[in-house]
Amino acid sequence: MNVMGIIFANDATMGALTDKRTMASLPFGGRYRQVDFALSNLACAGVRHVGIITRHHYQSLINHIGSGEEWGLELEEGGLEFLTPYASSATDNYRGKLESLYTATPFLESGPEDELVVMVDSAVLSNVDLNKALAAHVESGKDITVVCRAGIANGAKQLDLAIKLDEKNRIADIAVDYQAPADYLASMDIFILSKKFLMKQLRELISHNLYHMDRDLVLGLWQKKDISVNVHCFDGVALFNESIEEYFSNSLALLDKDIRHDLFAGNHPVYTKVRDRVPTYYGDNCRIDNCIVADGCMLGGEAENCIFFRQVTLRPGAELENCVIMNDTVIGEGAKLKNVILDKDVTVRPGAKLIGSPSTPIIIRRGETV
Amino acid sequence: MYFQKKRCIAMLLAGGQGSRLKVLTEKTAKPAVPFGGKYRIIDFPLSNCVNSGIDTVGILTQYQPLELNEYIGNGQPWGLNKTHSCAQVLPPYERHDKKSGWYKGTANAIYQNIDFIQRFDPDYVVVLSGDHIYKMDYAAMVEYHEHHGASCTIAVRDVPLKEASRFGILNTNPDGSIYEFEEKPKKPKSTNASMGIYVFNWSVLREALIADEEDPDSSNDFGKNIIPKLLGEGHKLMAYRFDGYWKDVGTIDSLWEANMELLGKDPAFNIRGDERSKIYARNNAHPSSYIDADARVAGSFIAEGCEVYGTVRHSVISLGCTIGEGALVEDSVVMPGAVIDPGAIVRHAILGEESHICRNAVVGGAFGPGEKKQISVTAKGAVVAENSVLLPGEML
Repeated sequence: MNVMGIIFANDATMGALTDKRTMASLPFGGRYRQVDFALSNLACAGVRHVGIITRHHYQSLINHIGSGEEWGLELEEGGLEFLTPYASSATDNYRGKLESLYTATPFLESGPEDELVVMVDSAVLSNVDLNKALAAHVESGKDITVVCRAGIANGAKQLDLAIKLDEKNRIADIAVDYQAPADYLASMDIFILSKKFLMKQLRELISHNLYHMDRDLVLGLWQKKDISVNVHCFDGVALFNESIEEYFSNSLALLDKDIRHDLFAGNHPVYTKVRDRVPTYYGDNCRIDNCIVADGCMLGGEAENCIFFRQVTLRPGAELENCVIMNDTVIGEGAKLKNVILDKDVTVRPGAKLIGSPSTPIIIRRGETV
Repeated sequence: MYFQKKRCIAMLLAGGQGSRLKVLTEKTAKPAVPFGGKYRIIDFPLSNCVNSGIDTVGILTQYQPLELNEYIGNGQPWGLNKTHSCAQVLPPYERHDKKSGWYKGTANAIYQNIDFIQRFDPDYVVVLSGDHIYKMDYAAMVEYHEHHGASCTIAVRDVPLKEASRFGILNTNPDGSIYEFEEKPKKPKSTNASMGIYVFNWSVLREALIADEEDPDSSNDFGKNIIPKLLGEGHKLMAYRFDGYWKDVGTIDSLWEANMELLGKDPAFNIRGDERSKIYARNNAHPSSYIDADARVAGSFIAEGCEVYGTVRHSVISLGCTIGEGALVEDSVVMPGAVIDPGAIVRHAILGEESHICRNAVVGGAFGPGEKKQISVTAKGAVVAENSVLLPGEML
């Protein structure tokens, strides 16, 4: 089976955390960027030709992924390509996934004609066996497969794409941007379809000024009975990081052993850029309770329910609770932080006090001193 | 094939068995022994090369090379896999003229790879060994060598007089030139110990190696044969003083000590250092570590991929270890992938890779101040059964 991967780096929806980076390059889980999960899912399924579609602020993403060496994607044939935007006569800077795919036509048309295309997203984190999904797609004989997760819809969360199955597992309803009731499945924004079908539909839809993947391709064509849809249910951990609140609660969810083990070691390892930091040093009087800790930290203070990224300095006497602390931050003596997200390179002065709430954590921007 | 001429290349002697590390080197070469949580011993000389701007390294392997070869691979973790760089593993091989076979000694190992070195037509060859823990700028040593117009420069350090007879001792003139070399002298005349780090003019070394090979009485060793021979021929040999941290981790005790010397507020060996003296290692895709609410960790290094539920004091815990609820690890070195089950106690021990200490087992013991610490050791993959005891100083 010839398979091509497309990763959408995604528009930023997380305010201060993403005003200078893509969702793909948002740090997560101590040593990762969100895109690591999508890249590892593809690479570990044997996909050797991957395009990354990105629109804004892709500097940090290119810096992180580089040649794709860490994911085994630094290859003579295929390998990894960044598909940065360019306007064409048919499209301005892209408005939706379909337009961005359309401008990437030369990439899509490279490689064998009979390829399948797997499209994945960088804001939904999972450790999914894409080979299973690919096999299910082929077996179904349908035009498109949508990988879905049950249990995400709750009547409150707005889903990009929600699908309801009837008792015979046939599709009863498809909805977009919908606060779906709990009996709907949430799309994990993983789609599988043949390159031929995709190219045909792209040309058709773009010509009619239709550019939205979920609304125009999946829902629109399904309503017109122009597409047959297969649903592949994933039953592992799927973390939807679509808002600051979700990002914060999903970060702390890693403190749960089952979630952690499923995400990091469910089907395959998760690869990321190597930084060659030394191991973390725990000082004589530190007190670290229920925390995730990456490499290179110097921990001297107290922390409970926290995620430490690489190279964090926690000075003696500092107290943290429910915090996400990104790399290269320094937290001074006697500082007290609760429900706080510190972006990279932040300095917290000795004795500073920052108290947020679980639903609206305080965010300190990259490089700031507080 | 075309090779770019290099000013300086390095040859790393990594073939020794390291028999004094006992069970730890039963199935692996000493340079591949884990150190400091996420490193292996060979990462130190290799990273030193890279940090010194030496981008071509021949690695001479012989004893149990499988793990070492796999670890070095194409040299990618050290950035030695580029167009103009290489980390080449050089095992013994067979030649038409029968001047081949197992490496008979350190000099013979280099002799058998003259062709490899010649391809780069280097001005200088740095000869290193793969069993020391230190950070050193070899470029500064090469500069010193060049500045003094020496044929060979040997790195030396001061050792206590009572230990001097364990080393090769260099007796020097006030200008740093060497007039005598004594291998493990009974009555040392100085305390300048050779660190086994040499810079040679390639033309001089090449000639000396060829002559040495023709001498049937030679044991083909740098310290015993090559250096005395060069001195006898009137070559200029210089001593290059190095005062930084340097540790021969050739014994269980010294390996344990070197790991312990990473710990503390002002460690004897500060492994963190600056970017330019960073130690590189091959990375596995371990997630970040998890420290449970009931865990207690103090004065310790913990690498990534660990899950800690018990107590860890004054220890080095390597990649991917699990320390169960109520377990205690103290004054110990736990190598990658070891599992310590709930209730087990590990003190003054080195646990080999993927060792498994089962529930309520006791490994090692505590020692009073001034008392000789006897280190307990488990081999790679060893299992200490439930409720059983591995006494202080015992090996499994």
